Amino acid sequence: MPRRLAAFVAILLSALALAAPAMSLTVVEVAREVRCPTCNTPLDVSNSPAAERMKIFIAQRIEAGDDKQQIIDALVVEFGRGVLTTPPKEGFDLVAWIVPIALVVGGLAAIPFVTRSWARRRRDDLAPEISAEDAARLEDELRRDDG
Amino acid sequence: MHPSADADPADGPDAPGSDRRRLIGLIVGAVVTALVIVLLVVGLVNRSASTAIDDALEAGARPPAPDLTLPVLVSGPGLPPVGEDASLADLKGKVVLVNLWASWCGPCRDEAPVLEEIWNTYRAKGVTVLGIDIQDLSSDARAFIKEYGLTYPSLRDGSDDSKSALEATGVPETYLIDRKGRIALHLAGPVSSTEQLSGPIDQVLAGK
Repeated sequence: MPRRLAAFVAILLSALALAAPAMSLTVVEVAREVRCPTCNTPLDVSNSPAAERMKIFIAQRIEAGDDKQQIIDALVVEFGRGVLTTPPKEGFDLVAWIVPIALVVGGLAAIPFVTRSWARRRRDDLAPEISAEDAARLEDELRRDDG
Repeated sequence: MHPSADADPADGPDAPGSDRRRLIGLIVGAVVTALVIVLLVVGLVNRSASTAIDDALEAGARPPAPDLTLPVLVSGPGLPPVGEDASLADLKGKVVLVNLWASWCGPCRDEAPVLEEIWNTYRAKGVTVLGIDIQDLSSDARAFIKEYGLTYPSLRDGSDDSKSALEATGVPETYLIDRKGRIALHLAGPVSSTEQLSGPIDQVLAGK
């Protein structure tokens, strides 16, 4: 049994070792988080001279051992927060995240009220018009029934 | 049983409360729609480049130069040390040749020696050549300055403020600013020779 467990652990470790290069940070992973300053498209799909220089910068930082956030932070220092493809989830930039969610939640919450209002209006439209003469006769018959 | 006993008249679609709710809903919907349209229009208008500077120059006027405040990349006379913020207003009273550039831009490489020559020719006469490095990595910008041996001062703009304030469409672009802080000339594209700018610089120096 311990031999089987040792073999299983060995296979698991080899599999992880083989997967390690695939799990390491790539230029594309960082590049899709920032935009090219000259063409305003995400860096991973930009090939302007400025974008190429930024990709080289990212590759050098990966080589130096920086993680994704450290590289993005360095690019924000260079180009400002406008370099990010998505606004950060803090401070005033939170508005860009909260407003769309609030609009969707508000819209969903309004559905029951709107449909009830539509149903009421439709029911009213389907109700036949009663002339004053018919209404009086109906009143009369109902009174007779009650009596 | 009387049918009217079941229905509350206030619940009916024609009741005053229902009308008010419908009106409020309509107003809220209209306001939200109008806001979205306004935001879209503002976004579209801002996206298209303004040409107010070129229009004024074409009409023979000298529009005021925008007051830019940016960190110093290479210092020079009248400017604070490297890393500190400098403002175009600091140079008011001097003739300034502002040049937007980037290290990755080919034409900027061609014109850098010409601008250095203009700086060496005119600095004693009170002209400051002022580079503004945009859309660039600061390490690349410093390497560019070293490679071409540029001694005229440069500021660094990572967030494109100067490009939009000066209504530039790319790099390189050059602006001649007179002693009163007004733009006297805008050149889109590279400066190909000293002679190309010596006439306008002499004119501005003469107070014309």
